[in-house]
Amino acid sequence: MMYILEKKKLDQTLKSWSEKYEVFAPQKVEGFSQFLPVEASGELALTDPHNTRYPPKALFMPQSEALLRYNRRLDRLEEVNTPPKPRLIFGIRPCDAAAVTLLDTVFNTEDNKDPFWAKRRDETILIGMGCVEPPQTCFCTTVGYGPFNTAGLDALVTELDDIFAVEVLSEKAQALFVDFPVASEDQQNQAQAVQTHAEESMAPAFDTTDLKQRLDLIFESDYWAEIADSCLGCGVCTFLCPTCFCFDIVDEVQRNERVRNWDTCMFRIYSQEASGHNPRPTRKERTRQRLMHKYSYWLGHIDKIGCTGCGRCVRYCPVGLDIRAMLRTASTLESERVNAG
Amino acid sequence: MPDNEHNPYHPMPMHILRAYYESNDRALKTFELAFDKHKDCDEFFRNYNPGQFCQLSIFGKGEAPFGVASAAWESEFVRFTVQKMGSFTQYIHTLKAGDPIGMRGPLGNGFPLEDWKGKNLVIIGGGCAFSTLYALTKHVQHPQNRPDFDQLVVIYGARNSGLCMYKHDIQSWYQREDMELHQAIDVPEEGWFHHVGYVPDVVKDVAPSPNNAVAVVCGPPIMTKFTLPALVELGFAPETIFTSLEKRMKCGVGKCGRCNIGSKYICKDGPVFSLAELQALPNDI
Repeated sequence: MMYILEKKKLDQTLKSWSEKYEVFAPQKVEGFSQFLPVEASGELALTDPHNTRYPPKALFMPQSEALLRYNRRLDRLEEVNTPPKPRLIFGIRPCDAAAVTLLDTVFNTEDNKDPFWAKRRDETILIGMGCVEPPQTCFCTTVGYGPFNTAGLDALVTELDDIFAVEVLSEKAQALFVDFPVASEDQQNQAQAVQTHAEESMAPAFDTTDLKQRLDLIFESDYWAEIADSCLGCGVCTFLCPTCFCFDIVDEVQRNERVRNWDTCMFRIYSQEASGHNPRPTRKERTRQRLMHKYSYWLGHIDKIGCTGCGRCVRYCPVGLDIRAMLRTASTLESERVNAG
Repeated sequence: MPDNEHNPYHPMPMHILRAYYESNDRALKTFELAFDKHKDCDEFFRNYNPGQFCQLSIFGKGEAPFGVASAAWESEFVRFTVQKMGSFTQYIHTLKAGDPIGMRGPLGNGFPLEDWKGKNLVIIGGGCAFSTLYALTKHVQHPQNRPDFDQLVVIYGARNSGLCMYKHDIQSWYQREDMELHQAIDVPEEGWFHHVGYVPDVVKDVAPSPNNAVAVVCGPPIMTKFTLPALVELGFAPETIFTSLEKRMKCGVGKCGRCNIGSKYICKDGPVFSLAELQALPNDI
């Protein structure tokens, strides 16, 4: 069912939802965009920038989070965190919502749940904002998603002139929109046209046919050293990536907490073992690990690419490394090898 | 959020039963840990299989993974041999009997003992990596388990006699009629009447038969690197050679991503892999 939310009533609507939910929306604070509670002082940034710099995965796995808390004498454990109020996230992009469903396969499987992740997932409603004009750095259609993909979403918004057309996708969202006017057939057609136009505007960024097999063949290639020559190893591509999930566990002695912090395979110490042995001693092995994990190893796990094409790593890489170009080059390497062989 | 009961990062409360140095350079120390709660003890031994590992935990210091060095039948304790390497293991070395410690586990798959039933076992270890193989040997030696396996050959090497672990117990294995033991040190020493040489060479000398046999290899990377081809040369098929991998693991339950090799996680899919499985993985070890 498709409902109409007038743009001018957005603020009021978000406020009314915040009686029952903790409502998050993309906001800009001092130029930095991220999802914040709507009561926060930031300015609402639904379309400018197109997507938040800080990935909304943080709402499910915060950058730093306590797993345990112990008392000062270190002999007794205390429970951490109180149950949060149910949450509603408005304006998440379809790539980021799809990324959450990918991370569910790590943190929320039947036989191996991470209770921190699972609880937040169960108590969160996701209302997505489709992408009317996907930027040049986006490539969701290449990796099997799209600017109006509904994976992981409870409702999907299509922006039309002065209204938001809201397609309701779950019962949880149905309850939110039941009193809203229903979209006319004309409005539904308009939304459809906008969606088709957006999808058609995105050209394929690289060839995904047999991608895993092609990458596995070039594991030992010198190409990785070439990429590593430009890479600074800053890790921003992995920290901002909505599907990167690696974490470190450390004890914060001042706070008496054992916390998990986002970590990155781009750092040397990530894989450094106590003996001094490091299976990924240089940036060559580390840049390879990042690409291989997303475009080969994920496929081995769940037969899906571990990337939803959000383009953050392309936009924010300080030296302009473009993962799409890397994958295009990787393809030619393989064909050279085959032609030569 | 989750109560501690359902928190997979919550260590079981344990205490140290016995702590003693294992090597004369005092870099290896063995700890036997007892459970504070009966329930934890029951659950641990319901799930434990030799070859598995645990995360040892000290509040305020952190956690690190260690292989279990005891068999379930020995008693209601869990044994670890800890090599002093970094700040965490240095701290562990200061612990003495009665001190509290946390433990998460057992973690990982362990040795596929069901598949090995009826076979000859060739157990090859080097240095402190022998700890999980000690657990395996102890398991097999138990009168109830021994009939499940055919011949048992143990090859164990250390740099020198002072670094040989579990000395008194292993010395008594020479008297056992149900197994064959070969110990080796790298360079000759006065009073040493066993093998002298590197483990891969000792394996070639002993030349265990690959017929109806499986070989298990645990040791430093350099030893493993040369022992695996030696076994292949002796005629062992890659499906019958097993080894245990290590990585800088954090969560131990397949979430933190740090022990990822190809599409496998060492903590969840391993740490025990056959050579055939390893050959299918990228060279990222």
